Amino acid sequence: MLVLRRRAGESLLIGDDVEVEVLAITAQGAKIGIRAPRKTVVLRKELKITRQQNEAAAHGLTRADLKQALEKLRGSSHIEPSLR
Amino acid sequence: MPSIATKYFGVLAYREEAVFEFPRGLPAFEEEHRFVLIEIPENATLVFLQSLRQPELCFLAFPVLVADREYRLAVSREDLEALDLDRGRQPTLGSEVVVLALVSLQDGFSATANLMAPIVLNLKTLRGLQAIRQDNLYSHQHSIQSLRPEAAC
Repeated sequence: MLVLRRRAGESLLIGDDVEVEVLAITAQGAKIGIRAPRKTVVLRKELKITRQQNEAAAHGLTRADLKQALEKLRGSSHIEPSLR
Repeated sequence: MPSIATKYFGVLAYREEAVFEFPRGLPAFEEEHRFVLIEIPENATLVFLQSLRQPELCFLAFPVLVADREYRLAVSREDLEALDLDRGRQPTLGSEVVVLALVSLQDGFSATANLMAPIVLNLKTLRGLQAIRQDNLYSHQHSIQSLRPEAAC
């Protein structure tokens, strides 16, 4: 990873058309400004990770997996769901 | 009573007042605004978050305290506001909000819970959202030993 030291008000350039400016630095964090073409997607990394995790969580478990898991837990094949 | 087709449990009847509204949906599922919680009485720690719009969309979840008994909430002011909660403090688990970690399964039993981005449900207004933490105190792949959590919620 390239590591640079920048002060508030200073920028760096990524490629020809992306500029990242450090606007302010406080104890709570750094305020970053980004100038980039509209087609460039800028995301908080946590959001991307959350999207990926949600997709995995939605698709990971089949009906058969769940039935098997619950049966093992309960030692029975009868499952009684309830809505709260 | 209206009913829904569910992913795991066939058709279930539900009450309108049991529906949680997610005004922003969930990341990757932004069009899903209405969910119900399904519990299995024999295993009260497991919760299923079933979409009303898409029968095939159903998340498996645990209360965060099941995954980590010491779990500390850190919902951002913006998210607190979206949930109609007091912006000045963290809500109380259990009485004001239910906080769930979505579970991913690799095979039948090796599971991880997303403690970095829990689902926060306001029990009074029945609003919900996925509150992504801004700190790095908790993992998005917190390992769970089995589907048999020791701690109760």
